[in-house]
Amino acid sequence: MMERTHRVRRRVAATVCAAALVLPLTACDALTPGSAAAVPGPRSVPSSTAVPDGDITLRLQFADAPLMVDALIAAFEKGHPNITVEPQYKTFSDYVQNLKLTMTSDTAPDIAQYAVGMTDLAADGHILDLAPYREAYGWDKAIPPVSLDQLTAGQTSEATGGRALFGVPAGLSMTGIYYNKELAQKAGIDGPPKTMAEFEDQLAAAKDADLTPLGVGALDSGGLHLWAALLNQLMPTDDYWDWVNGTNGATIETPAAVKASKLVIDWGRKGYYNDSANGTAQVDSTAQFAKGDSVFLINGNWAAGQLATVMGDNVGFFPMPGEEASAPTVASGFSVSYAVASRTEHPEAAGAFLDFLTTPEAGQIISDNGFMPPNPDAVKKPEGVLADIAEGHRRAVADDGITTFPDFAAPAMLDRLRSGVQKLIANRIDPSDYLDSLQDEWEEHHAE
Amino acid sequence: MYVLPAFAVYFCFAVLPALHTAYLSLFEWDGVTLGDWVGLGNYQEIFQDSILRRSVLNALVLVVFFSFIPIVVGLAMTGLLARFRRPGMGAYRFLFMLPQVVPLVAVGVTWRWLYGDDGLVNQTFRAVGLDGVTRAWLGDFGAALIAVGLVGTWVLSGLCMMLFLSGVQKVDSSLYEAARLDGAGPVREFVSVTLPHLRGEIAVAMTVTTVAALASFDIVYVTTNGGPGEQTTVPGLLVYRLAFSEGKVGLAAALAVVLGCLILGIVYLINRLSRSES
Repeated sequence: MMERTHRVRRRVAATVCAAALVLPLTACDALTPGSAAAVPGPRSVPSSTAVPDGDITLRLQFADAPLMVDALIAAFEKGHPNITVEPQYKTFSDYVQNLKLTMTSDTAPDIAQYAVGMTDLAADGHILDLAPYREAYGWDKAIPPVSLDQLTAGQTSEATGGRALFGVPAGLSMTGIYYNKELAQKAGIDGPPKTMAEFEDQLAAAKDADLTPLGVGALDSGGLHLWAALLNQLMPTDDYWDWVNGTNGATIETPAAVKASKLVIDWGRKGYYNDSANGTAQVDSTAQFAKGDSVFLINGNWAAGQLATVMGDNVGFFPMPGEEASAPTVASGFSVSYAVASRTEHPEAAGAFLDFLTTPEAGQIISDNGFMPPNPDAVKKPEGVLADIAEGHRRAVADDGITTFPDFAAPAMLDRLRSGVQKLIANRIDPSDYLDSLQDEWEEHHAE
Repeated sequence: MYVLPAFAVYFCFAVLPALHTAYLSLFEWDGVTLGDWVGLGNYQEIFQDSILRRSVLNALVLVVFFSFIPIVVGLAMTGLLARFRRPGMGAYRFLFMLPQVVPLVAVGVTWRWLYGDDGLVNQTFRAVGLDGVTRAWLGDFGAALIAVGLVGTWVLSGLCMMLFLSGVQKVDSSLYEAARLDGAGPVREFVSVTLPHLRGEIAVAMTVTTVAALASFDIVYVTTNGGPGEQTTVPGLLVYRLAFSEGKVGLAAALAVVLGCLILGIVYLINRLSRSES
């Protein structure tokens, strides 16, 4: 009897186990990854600019310049008392890496900062096409078209038949070189260089004066700005654009790119960088520069607000000069732009917030925080290092020389660039091998 | 029947996701749109990837720092502490257990500061006149992996020590008395009495720490993010990157499956070895 109950029990257990194993297999359809189903929520926005009454909360996720965003939100809420904007700040790398999961989740924020992965999301319908708003709000007049063109993801609008629009810029960015005026004077450097050769002479002069010439924070993405700045001067801009945009047949394995990569190695060999460039994060290199640890610093305008506060008139800025004094000003840059998730329940309120970003009031806040407002004529002239940046940006825009960052070329490019530039700085890779690794990644992505 | 509730929970939260991961590894999937069936194609790609082979090697180096050294340190501590009952032992244990209580991300951030240009490590070297040794440890191609490994040593030594100390308490004290009567010194006593009784604990410690080394992610992600170059890239980091920043979820799942199999194999080996010896 005992024996029998045991056997029965065992049989029951075995059946349960088998059922448990088979169940998920029969549920395979539900487990098939991904979904071709439409995204819930409005796929397109109404073309009216009316904002409904009643309390509305918009969640805004972003990765750049928290002080600027706080100020923008405060100013916006003053004009729209029924709308609350809830900022959700993430560090840049966290933001970019989680972007797809965030924007496709049920809890996607209403508004999100535009980033590399957004092009794929826009193509899949997860980002709202704002083209109807462009006409309703008249953004074509308030924002220079070149800034809007960066945000079309190459698509036409389903709603209007014209160009699509997946974001509104609030502040444009640009990389370049900061310099410590006091230290520069000590090294006998009398002003921003006009050519790249002159800049190299200044680096050498700083070295001779026993100072650290150039601060680089290459532990994270900071090293890539150095390489891109040199590449911008040496590689024809059209070829660079073709490569970043994935145009068929484009390549980074060019003599110009080899030369730029070799310069990164040479400057390292000559001891122009801070000793621990590879072990220093970008924000740390900025803090060290603010303390007076190096004469020059490579970084973007997003650091300007902080540097102006700490260093006052002692800091200046110039875009990396070209090979000749007459060369056009070329620098990496993009807009800090905001997109609206297709899942938002408040497209009207989100539209009102984006429209606020194009106003002179918002432009002033943007300018005060070291970013270039999309419409520079609408704000009062900045001072100090912010004026240097505004002037550099004006020249770059006039020369059609704002190029996007090289990691826009493929989703995995940032990892290749980061580890590759670290190796260049430490002189542990041949320029051609480095460029080959970038091109491999490019081909893998664009072959699809 | 009594195990059924536990089994159900375990099945839902461990087995099912694992099976789902294995299933995903057969697709080429960007994480958003409908995936394409590629069969074993992802696995083929993995074994041809040089960065991946490099990362497995790095993980094996980390085993030395996460597993081997902590066990040796833990044993040495046990040898020193087990013989004597002294006041203040609780505080001492607490101190060594501390790294276990702190989240690894916080541990990583703290060590990043310590290893920094002006961090405590370099300050210490400068204070004792070893200026030539100082460097940005996490940015140095030669030192980065060792620096990351030592963080693991710091975290896991305390865990090993606690395991061994609790093991020693099970040992019949008459055995120590007998050994002492036979004229055994502290070393002899440790080798002949303590060590053999700790075999089980050592096996457990080896399993836990080896898994921690092979599956390491948080410390590496926070301190170096795999850099400089690929010096500290580990498979766990690649799984994360492939899935979340590169949009290759299928490939990431395949790599996770391979990593899981590798870990299971090594754990099986450790268990076999420790059993056959006893």
